[in-house]
Amino acid sequence: MTLLADILTILLNGLQQGAIYVLLAVGLSIILGTLKFVNFAHGALYLVGAYLGLFITGQVPLNNGQLAEWGIQSYGIGLGFVAALIIVPIVVFVVGLLMERFVAQAFYDRPDTDQILVTFGLAIIVQELLRALLGGNSQPFPQPSWASGPIALPVVGNFPRWRLGVIAITAVLVLGVYGLVEYTDFGLIVQAGTLDGEMVRLLGIKLSRPYLVVFGIGAALAGVAGVVGGPLANVNPNIGTEQLVPAFLTVVIGGVGKIEGAVVAGLMLGTLQVLLIQTGYAAWSQVGIYALAALVLLVRPQGLLGSEVDVS
Amino acid sequence: MSDEPGDATATAAADAEAEVTGGLADRWASFRDREISTVLLTVVGVAVFPFLFNNYLNGYTQLATLILIYGIFAVGFDILLGYTGLLSFGHAVFFGGAAYAAGIFSASVSSSPLLVLLAGTAFAVLLAWIVGFLSLRRGGIYFAILTLTFGQMSFYLAASPLAFLTNGENGFTSVDIGSLLGVIDIHGGVPFPLSMLVDNMLYVFVAVMTVLSVAMANRILHSPYGTVFRAIRENERRAEFVGLDVWRYKLMAFIISAAFAGIAGSLFAIEGNYVPLESLYWTESGRVVIMTVLGGVGSLFGPLFGAGLYLYIENIVSGFETLGPFWHLILGIVFVVAVVLFPNGIWGGIDYLRDMVVGGEDE
Repeated sequence: MTLLADILTILLNGLQQGAIYVLLAVGLSIILGTLKFVNFAHGALYLVGAYLGLFITGQVPLNNGQLAEWGIQSYGIGLGFVAALIIVPIVVFVVGLLMERFVAQAFYDRPDTDQILVTFGLAIIVQELLRALLGGNSQPFPQPSWASGPIALPVVGNFPRWRLGVIAITAVLVLGVYGLVEYTDFGLIVQAGTLDGEMVRLLGIKLSRPYLVVFGIGAALAGVAGVVGGPLANVNPNIGTEQLVPAFLTVVIGGVGKIEGAVVAGLMLGTLQVLLIQTGYAAWSQVGIYALAALVLLVRPQGLLGSEVDVS
Repeated sequence: MSDEPGDATATAAADAEAEVTGGLADRWASFRDREISTVLLTVVGVAVFPFLFNNYLNGYTQLATLILIYGIFAVGFDILLGYTGLLSFGHAVFFGGAAYAAGIFSASVSSSPLLVLLAGTAFAVLLAWIVGFLSLRRGGIYFAILTLTFGQMSFYLAASPLAFLTNGENGFTSVDIGSLLGVIDIHGGVPFPLSMLVDNMLYVFVAVMTVLSVAMANRILHSPYGTVFRAIRENERRAEFVGLDVWRYKLMAFIISAAFAGIAGSLFAIEGNYVPLESLYWTESGRVVIMTVLGGVGSLFGPLFGAGLYLYIENIVSGFETLGPFWHLILGIVFVVAVVLFPNGIWGGIDYLRDMVVGGEDE
């Protein structure tokens, strides 16, 4: 029984670890798949989500950074975690819309290297603005009181309640987006536009609005990821860039534009990482996910669930 | 440097034209395009740079040295990004990897600076062969992400599994650099005539390497080999149809640019007597991307200029009272503005302005 319990614990922890990758990767993936836009600022949206979540959830004391020097001792409006979970995606959704209109659109016709460069620059701006204003130190993001502490699960035993929360929230959100893309008219238009934009336009459907919304949804998912992932580790200005690379890996391993792919790849990476940590190879846990990613990409360049056609 | 396709013929044509018309602008253009003049300009540049930098720009020699080191890194990076059109987000591997290799070599094999430099560069080239071979299977964003992947992998490798070699998070501290050719103390002062311009030997060593690197880059880019790079950047498929083995040329461009990163990385270890773990992190790759793009992709001197600007802002502007805390932010904004408005960077902008004033050749 203990072996089974161990396996289940590793799987659950892997699920939780992978959940954040999945949340980020699904957003990245639908933006990359439909708009053909490489968003290196996706990590910055995660960062914005995390800090905005902190701001909405409670009061955060400031002890360095420019705001502290200007005499502001703390920030936050203290509405609680659920409020953050609702408000953050809406705000980041709007941020996404603005980004699409004012940044991405100007770069659709330019090479992807230019897209990477400009979004990389944006990510630096967001990160450094937050660092300059709020200071570079780590802020603890408290877990919501209703989900702190352990919960007794059958077989597995005690398991942190919040980690289950992370898994549940991710599952709901990803299923929602999947349903939207697969089973609605909106999704149909977006998918058709991905395959043959010209044809969809000839049918009299304007693609600019669905594309705008896709960008917004992708951004909102990154924002939620920030709120959900915040309580798992401390929040500091570097977490955006730290999360970006594994998120990108998740996308390319899963196959660009494939939501199922992002889920499978995210869980794979998460489980592998947890497996290495819990079997005593913690030093290799980071190397492992990159090695796995490199391996998959060498064998299947289009990603696990990607189609051959997508290979550029 | 101009970067029209088929530079060799264009230069010849410009030469012929200059003989006929003899206009001042044409003469300047033909002078500028000759190899010897490029090298001479670089020599003069690196010779007077610390003097001007220290006396008029609040600089100091150590920073000037660092600027040249990153300049070499950026010049090499530009061979890949600016001339071949490949964006690598993992070039820190070659810079940091070479720095580690050089450091470890100096501590355990030989402390001769030239051998250390050679060891670091050789390591970078070997590594580039492997990473390039694997990453170049995909183009565009996949290439960027694959290089990023290998970069991060090496960072985490150096951080813990290989910590017995690299000293993990503390960075490699036991770098041991001996005297150059057994006589010149590389961290010592400079003899009289030179000492009017420069005050330490390390700068002279790095400056010589810079001149050699620029000369090498110039030679490569103006050879038929470099023309192929540009052809690949302009239209990969067409280059393939002409019968060129595009993949091989891309791999070579990758290895060549990594060799420059290797030279720079080794010099970095020699300069600081220390290799920080951060020299492998992907933001270090981002730094060289910013330097190159800021200075100007597709130009020989642009990246050097970009490296100077970046490090100047990082080290000097960050000390200013009000602007200091925002230096990285300022740099980010300048970078985005450069990407949006000046695709050829600041050097390209200068070129453009000059052409407007002098009425230079339009493309």
